[in-house]
Order: sequence, then structure tokens, then C-alpha cells
Amino acid sequence: MIPVEHYVALSAILFTIGGVGFLVRRNVIVALMSIEVMLNAVNVALVAFNRLPTHNNAHTGQVFAFFIIAVAAASVAVGLAIVLSLFRIRRTVRSDEADLLKN
Amino acid sequence: MALAFILSPLLVIGAGALLLMLAEAFGPKHNRTAGLALGCTIVFGAGFAFSVGAWLYGVEDVAEKELIVPWLVIDRFSIFFDGLLCLGGAIAALLAGGYLREHEMERGEFYSLLLFSTVGAMMVASAGDALIVFLGLETMSLGAYALTAFRRTSPRSAEGALKYFLLGSFAAALLLYGFALLYGATGHTDLAGIGEAVRAGGPHKTMIIVALVLVLTGLVFKVSAVPFHMWAPDAYEGAPTPATTYMAAVVKAGAFAMLLRVMLTCFTEKGLMSWSAGWPPVLAWIAVLTMTVANLVAGQQESVKRMLAYSSIAHAGYLLVGVVAAARSMPEATSSVLFYLLTYTVSTAGAFGALILCGRKGAEAVTYEDLAGIGRRHPAAALAFSLFLVSLAGIPPTAGFFGKWFVFRAAMDSGFYLLTIIAFVNSVIGAYYYLRVLVFMYMREPAAGAPVATPMKSGYVAAALILSAVLVLILGIVPSQSLDVAIKAASIFGPPGG
Repeated sequence: MIPVEHYVALSAILFTIGGVGFLVRRNVIVALMSIEVMLNAVNVALVAFNRLPTHNNAHTGQVFAFFIIAVAAASVAVGLAIVLSLFRIRRTVRSDEADLLKN
Repeated sequence: MALAFILSPLLVIGAGALLLMLAEAFGPKHNRTAGLALGCTIVFGAGFAFSVGAWLYGVEDVAEKELIVPWLVIDRFSIFFDGLLCLGGAIAALLAGGYLREHEMERGEFYSLLLFSTVGAMMVASAGDALIVFLGLETMSLGAYALTAFRRTSPRSAEGALKYFLLGSFAAALLLYGFALLYGATGHTDLAGIGEAVRAGGPHKTMIIVALVLVLTGLVFKVSAVPFHMWAPDAYEGAPTPATTYMAAVVKAGAFAMLLRVMLTCFTEKGLMSWSAGWPPVLAWIAVLTMTVANLVAGQQESVKRMLAYSSIAHAGYLLVGVVAAARSMPEATSSVLFYLLTYTVSTAGAFGALILCGRKGAEAVTYEDLAGIGRRHPAAALAFSLFLVSLAGIPPTAGFFGKWFVFRAAMDSGFYLLTIIAFVNSVIGAYYYLRVLVFMYMREPAAGAPVATPMKSGYVAAALILSAVLVLILGIVPSQSLDVAIKAASIFGPPGG
């Protein structure tokens, strides 16, 4: 059996990749995907922790992960709608070209 | 039955949101939005009335509330926030009724979104489990994103919404990873259980500290504190003004409810609460940065709406001073934060409302220049605006004065003298840009040929302004009763370390 630590390490790596991707990339679609990667890292961590012997086998982590999947889907629906409405007006999906609002 | 009664604010707003959606779908063909603003206000009013009812009924003796623990914790704190959020929502709904019609973008979903988003905020305020914190937060935020993007033809609206959405989701992901690590370290997702396990200590000290950093970052993102405030001015400026009002009042109050609930339940272990190795000094630095940066930048703005956005960030800084004090003297300082939120909600909602009143379709009041001379041409609009700005600046006899007074006093009582002095100096700097609006309204004449904003006429906006003006004056002249309510609401948090 693969020890829980390996899963947690995987999730930390995924979370870092997502976080760095979000901060570095200027394409909004890629930023959205990076957030999804971060949320999936959370899911991996939750499901892995759920297997710890000290956690009473109550499946809390797994249930939590299902909720995150559902909410992430809803949030992407709103996010893509916003990206679409920006694209219709400005013809761009790059966040550095959305620069009308400044100090 | 008693359970349904103490849950009634939440249930009323949720049911009202669904009914309002149906009302729009099956409404009269020629005028689908007729009466929706009024209906939305009535639902918020009913939510407020039920919160008052539940408050008077008392929640301590209701045994059935244990049935929903740990998912929802119904106590004085959550009932207080139910009422506060409904009040802010009602003012935003009234403003929307005037503004959306004037600017010809009235569509029914605005009102349903307001209500659904408020359901999320109320869930956050009464959440007893990390899962409910997350669900409530996302319900609240998704509504707010959609409200920001509501003006579909405006590039500014879309851009503001995009920035708000991206950074808001990023913050939610950080918060969630923090919760996941806490679950791994303690085996609990309910906040009380996490708190107990953290106090008991254990082998996972490092993991808890990493989780604390992630959770704290996510939370201060949501309350728009510097250096995580970048989204706020853009989202506030791009959104239609009633949506801005809603974000500045309701979403901010919900975020502070979440901050208080999570920090004062989960991270109350002695070491984590200490000044040498805990979260209070970090939060104190964030508060100082927030107040200073926001006040300095607000003074340089040309747009009044953007100035008010920075002012709302600065107020988050004053509130954080109260939260820092709460780490040392929990119930007293928490009550001052709650009272401040109350005064801030009515003042800022009123200020945005007055800005709405000063504009008209095609001639919205945006910059200081637009407001020049409005004191002479439209004394009523200018008077209302002045009252709310004076309250935001914290000058007696308005609500804002006592809000600041109690927060600063709580910080002094907890021994944070330097922090209080910085906050005080900041509130003096802050007065500069509020009073600058007054100077333009009363002492300047518009330049020749400049577009001049003329106030609109709307019963809805007038009603919202009268409501908030009355509350600003009541809270500023006889604050003792509402302060007692705040003290009672904050009493659910025991003394620190307990």
C-alpha cells in the first residue's frame, strides 16, 4: 500500500504548480485551469487524509471532496461566462490586456 | 418548531429568492420586472424582522439546535449577522430598484442574485464546519461575481468581475488547502473540533502552522486587506453601483463574520494567540498596511466611486485592529468589531446610495468635478451625501464616530497603544478625502461646458437614503442599545485560551 505521505506530497506539488501557474500565466483560461488544479490538489489531500488510521474511517474527507467537485463546476460556469462576456466586448482573453480600470 | 424559528432568517431569504425567480418568469409579459425591487426589499425586511424575532425569543434554551450542530451553529453571533446582512441587503435592493431602472438594465435576476448571495453570507456567519464555511463562501461569492458583471455591455463591468472572480477563486483555493491540512492534522472538519485538537497539541505542529498561514491568507483576501486588496478597487468601480453597495456592505460583513468565527474558534491555542509567535502580530501588520496604503491611495483618486472603494479597504483596516484586539480580550473587542460593522454598513451603503442619487442616465456622477456645485443646485442630495461622508470620516454625532471610538478603546484596553495611535492618525488622514467631496459639493462651481451630473428622481433611492440616514443618526446619538446587542452577540466567544 502506498503510504499517505506520498499522496500528500503529490497534492502539495499539484497545489504549487496550480498556484505558480495562476500567478505567472496571463491567459485567463489557463488561470482558470490553474485554479482547478489547485482545487484538485485539495481533493487529493482530503481523500488521502481520510485514510489515516487516526481519522476514524468516517469518510469526512471523501464527502468534502465531492462537495468541492460540485462547487468547482458551478464556479467555472460563472467564470467562463465572465470570460465570454469580456471576450465579446474586448476580443481578448488575456488578463494583462484588461486594463481599463486603474488608479 | 423552535428550530425552524431560529433558522427562519435563512429560510425566509432562501424561499424569497426562489419565489422572486418564479415571479419574474411568470410575471406580466409587458413589464417583467414590475415590483421585483419592492418584493426583494420586503423579503430582506422579513428576514430582518425574523432575525429580531429570533433574537428576542432567545436561542440559548432551544434544545433542537443541537440537531444541526456542527453544520450550522445558531447563536447570538449568527442571529446578529443575519439581521445585519438583511439590513445591508435591503438597502442594496432599494438602491437597485432606482438605479437599474434609471440606467435601463433592470432584469429580474439581479434581485434573486442579491438574495441567494445573502443566503451564502448568512451560512458563512453561522457556519460551524469548514465544509459549510466553504459552501457559504462560494454561494456568497458566485452571486457577487455575477452581480459585478451585471452590466453586460460595459467592458469595465466585465473586467472588474474577471479580476474579482480570479482572485476570489484563488483565495478560496488557499483557504480550502488550509482546511484540508487542518483535517489531516486534527481529524476534524468542524471548527470547534479543530480548535480543541489544536489546543490539545500533537505531533503535527508544522502542518497546523502551514494551515494557519493558508487560512489566514484566504481570509484576508476576502476582507480585501492590503497586500491582498488588488481586486477590490477594480471590482467596486466596474460593478453597477448597487452591486458595489452590496459588496461593500454585505459581502464585507460576511467575510468578517467568517474571519472572526474561524480565527477565534480554530486558532485559540496559547502559542498561536501569543504576540511572539502567533497570528495577532501578523494581522496587526496587515491592519497597519491596510489603513495606511488605502488612505494614501484614496486621497489621490479622481473618481469618487473608486475613492469610496479605497475607503472601504481602509475601514477593513480599522476593523482588523479590532480583530487583533480580540485576540487578547475576546468578547469585549469582538463586540466593538460587530458594532463597527453595523455603523460601517449603514454609512457606506448610504454613501454609495447618495452617489447613485447624484447621477442620471448618461450623466452618472463619477468624478469630484461631476459633483461640483451640487450643494447649491440640489441641496437634499448633497445633504444626504455629506451626512454619510461625515459618518465614514468618524465625526460626531454620526454612527461612524462611535464605531471608531469603541474599536480604538477596545484596542487601548488590550494594550495595543501604538496600533491605536496609527489607526487614529489614519482616520485623520482619511477625513481629508471625505471632506474633499464636501468642498466640491458646496464650494466649487462646475467648469464651463463640463458635463454636469443632475440627480435622478426615485422613490426607491430616496427610501434607502432616508433609512440609512435615520440609522446613522440613531447609532450616532443613542448607540447604547445597539452596543448592548453587539456585546451580547460577541459573548459567545469565551475569554482567550479558554
